Amino acid sequence: MTRKQAKFFFLAPAIIWVFVFTIFPLGYSAVLSVFSLENSVDVTRTKVPLLDDAGEPVLTRSGKPRTRTVIERTVNSDWTFVGGKNFVRITKDMQAAEAAKVTVIFAVVAVTIQIVLGMALALLFNRKLPARGVMRSVMIMPIFATPIAVGYLFFTIFFENGGPLSFTGIPWLSNPSWALFSVILVDVWQWTPFAFLVFLAALQGIDSEQIEAARLDTESSWKIFTNIVLPALQPVIVIVLLLRFAEAIKVFDIPFALTGGGPGVATQSYTFLAFRTGLRFFDVGYASAMSYTLLIAAMIIVTVFFSRIRKSYS
Amino acid sequence: MFRRAMLAAPLVLAGLATAASAQESFVKWNDDGSAELLVNDGLWLKTAPGELGDLFGPGEKPFEGVEISITVNTGGPKGGISGPLHTFRPIWEELSGGKLNIVELPFAEHFTKMMTDLRTGTGQFDAFMVGAFWYGDIAAGNFAFPINELMESGEYPQWSLDSMPPSLRQLYTWGDDVLGTLGDADGQALYYRRDILEDAEWQAQYKAETGKDMVLPPRTWQDVLSISQFFDGKNWDDGDDEPDSGMVLHLKVGEQGHFHFQSLSASFVINPGDEVTQFDNVYWFDPTDMTPLINKPGHVAALEFLQELSKTGPAAQVGWSLGETWDYFLRGKSIFVFSWGDVGSLVQDTSRSKIKGKLGVSIVPSSERYWDLETEKWVEGAGDRRVGNTVGGSWHGVISAFSNNPEATYSFLSLMAIKPVSKWNANNGWTGVDPGYSYQFLEPQGEATLAEYEAAGWDPGDVQQYLQAYFDNFNAPTMLTYLRIPGTFEYWDILDKNLSAAMSDQKTAQEALDDTAAAWEQVTDRLDRANQLKLYQAAIEYDG
Repeated sequence: MTRKQAKFFFLAPAIIWVFVFTIFPLGYSAVLSVFSLENSVDVTRTKVPLLDDAGEPVLTRSGKPRTRTVIERTVNSDWTFVGGKNFVRITKDMQAAEAAKVTVIFAVVAVTIQIVLGMALALLFNRKLPARGVMRSVMIMPIFATPIAVGYLFFTIFFENGGPLSFTGIPWLSNPSWALFSVILVDVWQWTPFAFLVFLAALQGIDSEQIEAARLDTESSWKIFTNIVLPALQPVIVIVLLLRFAEAIKVFDIPFALTGGGPGVATQSYTFLAFRTGLRFFDVGYASAMSYTLLIAAMIIVTVFFSRIRKSYS
Repeated sequence: MFRRAMLAAPLVLAGLATAASAQESFVKWNDDGSAELLVNDGLWLKTAPGELGDLFGPGEKPFEGVEISITVNTGGPKGGISGPLHTFRPIWEELSGGKLNIVELPFAEHFTKMMTDLRTGTGQFDAFMVGAFWYGDIAAGNFAFPINELMESGEYPQWSLDSMPPSLRQLYTWGDDVLGTLGDADGQALYYRRDILEDAEWQAQYKAETGKDMVLPPRTWQDVLSISQFFDGKNWDDGDDEPDSGMVLHLKVGEQGHFHFQSLSASFVINPGDEVTQFDNVYWFDPTDMTPLINKPGHVAALEFLQELSKTGPAAQVGWSLGETWDYFLRGKSIFVFSWGDVGSLVQDTSRSKIKGKLGVSIVPSSERYWDLETEKWVEGAGDRRVGNTVGGSWHGVISAFSNNPEATYSFLSLMAIKPVSKWNANNGWTGVDPGYSYQFLEPQGEATLAEYEAAGWDPGDVQQYLQAYFDNFNAPTMLTYLRIPGTFEYWDILDKNLSAAMSDQKTAQEALDDTAAAWEQVTDRLDRANQLKLYQAAIEYDG
């Protein structure tokens, strides 16, 4: 094996992986989004005599020859090119507009709370605290829970008649506004520890001499935080913000398990709607167009965001 | 060592032989050709001679080596609909020599998995325990295996469509094809606390407060509302110190809450008549052009009424599924619930219910008025014109058109459809199979006896009202038509979301149903209006 062949040999699994699981689905769904796809199946059934191992007809108890049905099937896929119709349809779809609104509210509120709360907790844990190690381990446990299980867990917690929070009298799941807040709350519970963990690691990387030097100039902790700590953390905050935002706009599991998207469509996220459209009602072309719209919107936001960040650095 | 092993060997073999002979048998054959089947509570169900068909018999293994897979809503060995599959699996495996895989799928995923299998022609599953509202997609797509010939062959366990009232029979067939094997019979009835409503003191208080007599069972929805409002907030049940409710509903989006609206609104909407015309006996669409009727004044008034009625129940019910709602009623917390046959049997389970022997049941009431679709005016004082319904899934087995073993699959499904099995299912509420067939109703309307139900643990007072209510429901002169066209699941999903929005005050009744109608128009156009119209006309038996 030549050196070139060896390189290719070692790279091949990764390349195949990327093609099969990234490039192909992306390309396929892009094609789907401009087509209307209808599958139908032709079935031919033929009754044939049932024979035993010796080739003799098998009889029923009353002596009648038994038969079996042999099935031949042909799957027909009817692809109709619809151009941009699926994308135009999104602009007129009331459900898509409502789902987009829910998703934006969810993403902005949840991610903002996660960043602020994560930062506050990181600052707290960046001091000497009793049993800090244990508390830190407990703090990050929600990250490892499966979101769908978290959704069902919080369904029992928010249960309004007899659940552990029922004493509050808050209509956690039956009121549209509270239901969205509940979904946000669960996401915050699960993902604030992620922000906390990253911020804490970054805080511990700040040169302590820099902070001590600053203390010679001012006694205001707020000034030290805004002028020294925050700028030092900015790249990390940007990363956390982007990662969490990219995840938040795809939210699916928690509303699926916690509220089923309701009441009405109060917690139906955009991804949830795309899932229902494609996999419940088999309107796959339209669902692909919905998914691509989300992808494009996310890319625009990220690009604008990064260009601003780049400008601020330059 | 070797010698000791040789001495022990016969003992080990004898032990194994004893274990093998002690292996439980699930079928006993009698000399007259009848058989007895062991169900999992130790009870032997006796079949009539020849009832198991020509293939099954002593020593016969007609499907030896055959493996079949059937999907069902998740429920486990003691769950509704899934339970009977688990119970009759060992029986069928012993009779046939085959192997049955029960594939349990969450309700929300079942339709998706089934249609993916069918639309791609994969044929991973041999049969599905379907809801009747999936027929529009399954049957119209030619995805089901017609069983007429298998039924007539005499080779398989014997059951008949004749035991079904026409309202249910229609759900199991598509044109001349029989697609479903006898299973569940779904319809909603009105359940109430007989002990409270028949109490003379409460009746006197009701009259003093409202100025009218309490009609029992309530004949109109307006009576139900009045009684619900009277009892709501009062601590009429002595189970706890908390105030109790009038009506409890399950309204969580995606959890079949729209069936409440269907069964309630039917009498606000349906114009009675001897046959289906453009205006009579229609509920969903105008049968001449597929224009939705869902936002007509009758439907809107019914939704406004449901909103009013829901205020007599716990506010949290907007987020409740069936389980929470049923439990609330079973715990004695509400006077009324209108729901499926499961409630009647669950009431008898004293580990879950505290109202056994206190149950009243009737066909759902009618509205005092309905919207005349032809004259576009309200018809007031319409009298007692209660509309029967088959809302729900009436869950039952349908064989996939792509099954490689339709005969073996049918032999299992038909085993579950024979009379003794079906009676046993109806007697035992946990099976989720609700009564609807002639041999499940009491004499003289049916063939069952009170003693049979009492032996299964039913309170005689409860079961008499329960079975009468369901007999009245399934045999009502006017029935709510069942939607069986492609996209039914999607049409109902849209309705469900908008109803949920209305019940949680996000939309007015008019807005919710206008939005529903607009979205339905889009679905109809996308699925081909002409084809939808043709199938809709066939489904409701409209011939112009």
